[in-house]
Amino acid sequence: MTSLDHRVKGVDHAAFPTFDPAGTVHFYRDVLGFPVVHSICAVGWGPEDHPDFIHFFFDIGDGDRIAFFYYFGAEAFNQTGRGDAYAGFGPEVPLYFIRSRHLAIHVDSYEDLMEYRRRLDASRWPVEMQIQHETIESIYTHDPNGYLVEITRAMRPVTPAEDLDANLTIDALLDVVAEPGPSLAKLLARKAELIVERAAQWELAPAGDEGRP
Amino acid sequence: MTALYVLDVPENTGIATVAAEDPAVSVGRIGPYFEITASGAITIDRRATGCRHAVWYSAVAGLPRDSRITQHDKNALRVEPA
Repeated sequence: MTSLDHRVKGVDHAAFPTFDPAGTVHFYRDVLGFPVVHSICAVGWGPEDHPDFIHFFFDIGDGDRIAFFYYFGAEAFNQTGRGDAYAGFGPEVPLYFIRSRHLAIHVDSYEDLMEYRRRLDASRWPVEMQIQHETIESIYTHDPNGYLVEITRAMRPVTPAEDLDANLTIDALLDVVAEPGPSLAKLLARKAELIVERAAQWELAPAGDEGRP
Repeated sequence: MTALYVLDVPENTGIATVAAEDPAVSVGRIGPYFEITASGAITIDRRATGCRHAVWYSAVAGLPRDSRITQHDKNALRVEPA
């Protein structure tokens, strides 16, 4: 747990390069219905080799934004056939790793999730997977740049007990990765000790003090 | 003594319920966790719990050093003395 006050207010913008601005606008604005809310057209400045560029933004809800850079005259750097517009990977890199980085956008309900599923399924970028995870349900597709995009809804609210559990997990993880050969088995053994040390007292902890030893 | 800890959230209640059906197994609590204990092995049938895979494979919160998982697949979770 941290005693620092928490002042941040969510995502201002997450930025990605694109070599397909038409596909990107079509996907985010016309298929998903995310409004264009900002754009900057700039001549290349700073480093001599910086091309002219456009930086454009879509609203992803609550004022949060996803943004793209399009560089005039630049060709895609990734010619590997694996990965996305930002990065390429050789055959030695497993798919689970390539697919690990993604952006998940929140919706409030199953109905909203299915609305986005309908929009995607009617497009060139249909839903590739719909999965119920532990407490969230998600749909996935890759955008025109190869970026994995998830839209997700909570199946129930997260409980204070889960916040406690997450903090015990992270403390156990820090202990385990400080030693050689970290493993899930070692983490579960360390976490069992933390559960015995801390969890019994937790029920007595005042509201708002969850997870503190 | 064999033991495992499982967080008490709605998705996991079937695990505690199925574990408790074995008369050799005790299900107690420590804070917000189920404490599932036995003098010998603990075996929990996944299908009986009703857990979907994402829940099933992330259900174990802690495992004391004197216990070890000898099976955790789509069929069952088995914990035995280490």
